[in-house]
Formats: sequence, structure tokens, C-alpha cells
Amino acid sequence: MSSNIANETTCAFKDRRPWTLRRILSNRYLLYTVSLLIFFFGWDYLAKMQGQEATASIARPKEVLLALVDLWENELAEYTLLGHAWMSTQRVLVGFVLASVIAVPLGLFMALNKYVNAVVKPLFDLLKPMPPISWVSIAILWFGIGETSKVFIIIIGTFVPCLLNAYNGVRLVEPELYDVIRILGGNRRDEILHVCLPASFPAIFAGLQISLNSAWTCVLAAELVSSRSGLGYIIIQGMNLSDSAMVMGGMAVIAVMACGTSLLVTGLERLLCPWKRKIAGL
Amino acid sequence: MATPLSPSEVKIACTNVSKTFIQKGTQEVPVLDDVSVGVRENEFLVILGPGQCGKSTLLRIIAGLETPSTGSVFLDNREVTGPGADRGLVFQGYMLFPWKTVLGNVEMGPRLRGIGSKERKAVAQHYLDLVGLTGFENHYPHQLSGGMKQRVGIARVYANSPEVLLLDEPFGQLDAQTRIFMEQETARIWQAEKRTVLFVTNNIDEALFLGDRIVVMEGKLPGHVRTVYDVTLPRPRDFTDMDFLRLRQEIIDASQLTL
Repeated sequence: MSSNIANETTCAFKDRRPWTLRRILSNRYLLYTVSLLIFFFGWDYLAKMQGQEATASIARPKEVLLALVDLWENELAEYTLLGHAWMSTQRVLVGFVLASVIAVPLGLFMALNKYVNAVVKPLFDLLKPMPPISWVSIAILWFGIGETSKVFIIIIGTFVPCLLNAYNGVRLVEPELYDVIRILGGNRRDEILHVCLPASFPAIFAGLQISLNSAWTCVLAAELVSSRSGLGYIIIQGMNLSDSAMVMGGMAVIAVMACGTSLLVTGLERLLCPWKRKIAGL
Repeated sequence: MATPLSPSEVKIACTNVSKTFIQKGTQEVPVLDDVSVGVRENEFLVILGPGQCGKSTLLRIIAGLETPSTGSVFLDNREVTGPGADRGLVFQGYMLFPWKTVLGNVEMGPRLRGIGSKERKAVAQHYLDLVGLTGFENHYPHQLSGGMKQRVGIARVYANSPEVLLLDEPFGQLDAQTRIFMEQETARIWQAEKRTVLFVTNNIDEALFLGDRIVVMEGKLPGHVRTVYDVTLPRPRDFTDMDFLRLRQEIIDASQLTL
């Protein structure tokens, strides 16, 4: 009995091949390193090619690093680099959390109730194709150049993917899984609690990831247009000063911050969807 | 062929059940035509028929997931009006909850009926042991092979202690070896804890190996019952036994079908 079961399970074999040259060269991490080194040296070479003046349009990697150190140590418009990064992140997080708290439940309701769907869907379809950036000017007219307008634009930008993914997540649930609940003696509430929600979690989190990307795009657009703080402000200052090192430094910091918040959401997904975690680990 | 059922021993009665699906608004597709089947208490009844003969629809009607167009289904002389925990259905596509562990899947039925955590875990463990999945409680369905997934499906239904088990081509997706092994396991589990079983299959060997009686359904839509056979072969049965093969030939000859 037990031996039959053992044969049915997949076995993991330990890798015991010797370290041949071919294997070292095809090693994943070595190739990662090579790829990154080529990128940085290529960049540095290109920057060197176009001369030594400080106003050169491509800054060398070293100069970008120095610019960042300078921003870290000295204040630019009342904030150090950390302060600016935190201002942007704060806006992203506030907008993102507000949008997802409204959009995800609304998407779920739309998928579960045809009346809610019939009321919300036409409005949503009307506003959906509008690029969030197009709201920047009107947001400033409505809310001024303070925090409200920036958070508003982020909410506009993150709302659509949050709602759409929650909605589609529910619509794509295998209908026979509802039959299972009914067969086992469950009611509509059990169907939603035990099938609908867990089944749509992965789609919801995919939507949150897209939203987060969109949130960073939006915060940047808002800060480029009007701001006294944030990473977009650093970039626009760099542009005004023709300091390409500062612009590129700001871009690099945004990449790092966006990556960090994305990891945060991934972590949350792993916490809430343990069954997905095991798939990734296989 | 088969001995007639006396009304007192009937557990499930389908009387003149017909089902017509409406496709694309107007097009009528008759799937079942005047099917009357009775199932005895603790009997293993197999419904045998080729693909597309309405046998799965019949099972879904008995489960309460579909309503018959005409006729009715009675369980213990009470008419079936919807799904309920007194009937358990095992699906061809397993239909386990991917987000629940093996134990979580099996204890789902008792959980929905509001049974306490400790008690339902004990029940689930008992049936996991019965189907031979001891030690796999904390695995997720995608970590299991097809045969093991269907064991979870069977344990999940057993754990809800239904009076009737409905199995809809449960081994249709398995390879030939695993299928035979699962058939032996099903016979063993059923003999360990007898229930009234309705087993739908398109495989004549499976039908003969498992069934106390076999209801053969006609191949073309709308499906209807052709013949009912009593299978009195002793258990455990043998696929190559002379009586087994003789009955097999008899059913094939009578139904003019390559099953």
C-alpha cells in the first residue's frame, strides 16, 4: 500500500555533476554578472567617448554615483535624497492603498452581482481608456499643486487595473468548483468565501502589481509637472541644471524604490496564497 | 436479465426522467429520454454507456445540480429538489480546491456543516487513511498525481458521510495501470465502508469489476436505458475470469457497441 504511494510521488534528485568548464560557463549567476558588467562598461565607454565636460548628455556611472552621494549628504530644496525618495513613496503608497481598498471590492461586487455590474460597468468603460496622465492638469486645477492632486492622479492610474483584475479573477473561476461547494452542503456565502475569493486572489495580486507600476508612473508625472519634493523633482532639477548625472541618479533611485514596493506586494501575495508559493518552489 | 426491485428496498428512484437543454436560445437538445432507474440501499450500481449518451447529465440530475425537464428523482421517497450533503459527487476532473491542502479539501464538507475543527480533522484523517493518503495531509493538490488527486476526491465525499455516492467517470483521466489500481482500491474502500453508489463509466471492464448491477445506456442522444444486468460474480473480481469474460461478451453482443 505505502510503496504504491511512494512510487506515485515525484522524487527530487540531487545534482552531483562535476564542475566542468562548460558547466561553469553556463552557470546562471556567472551569466547574470557578465551581462551586468557588459552593460556598465558599455555605458561607461559610451560616456567617455563623448568627452569630459560636465554638461555631457551621458554621465558616467561613477558620476551618477557621486551625484547620488552628494544628494544623500546635502539638502536639495529642504530634503536630502532619502527625504525625496520617502515623499514619492509616501504618495505612491497612499494613492495605491486608497485605490485598491475601493477598486478591489468594487470589482468583486461587479463580478458577483449583475445589478452592481450594470450600474458601474458603463461608467467604468467610458473612463477606462483615458490615460491617467491626462488627468494631471485637471487635478492641479481642482486640487492645487499640493499632495491631494498627486494622490488623486495615482488613484486614477491604479484604479483601473485593480478593478479589472479583481473582476476577471472572479469571472474566470472554474464553475464546477461552485458545484463542489453546493454538493458538500454549502450555500452562496460558502461559495464566495471558499471558492470565489481564494480563486481570484492570484488575479487580484497580478492587478496590484500592475497598479503599483502605474502608481510610480503617475507620481513621477505629477512631480515633473509641479512639485517641490520627490524623485520627479530631483529629475526636473537635474534637467534644468543640465546635470545628467543627477537626472540619471533620480531615475536609478526610482527603479530601486519601484522594485522595493513591488517586492512588498509579492511578499504579501506569498503570505496570503501559500498554495502559489509551493508551485513556485517546485 | 435483472431481478425486479421491490419498492421497499429502493434507495434512489428515477422515474421517467427526461432532460432537454436549450442551446443558443431556441435550439432544443434532448439529452435524456424517459429514464427510469432504481438503486438499492448499499448497492454498487454502474451506469455504462459510450460518450455523449447523457449518463453524466443523469448523475448531475440525481445530485440536484440540474433539474429534470420531466419526471422526478426520489431519495428515500423524498423528491430531490437541489444539491444536498446526503449525496456526494466525485468529478471526472477531480475538482479539488487548489488553495486547500489535502486535509483542507477532505474536511471541507464537515466544515460547511459547521462541525468543530477537532472533530472534522479526525474524520478527514480517518478517510485519508482509508484511501491510502496517510502522510500527504499537508500537500497541495498540484503536488499529487492524478490517481492521488482522485483519492482525495473520494475521501472528500466520504468524509461528508453522504448516504449516496455519485461517481462521474472518476478514473477517465488516468492511465490504464493507475486506473486498474484505482478500481481495486474503490472496491476495497466500498467493501470497508458500504454506501449506495452510482458509478458512471464508459469502460465495460470497470463496470464489470465494480458493479452489483450494470445499467447499459444507448449510445445516441437522447440517452435511454437499454438493458440492466445483475452481476453476481464473487469479489474480489478478476478481469480474466471465465465468467467475467462471458458476461462481458454477452453485454457487448447485446448492446452492439464497441465499449
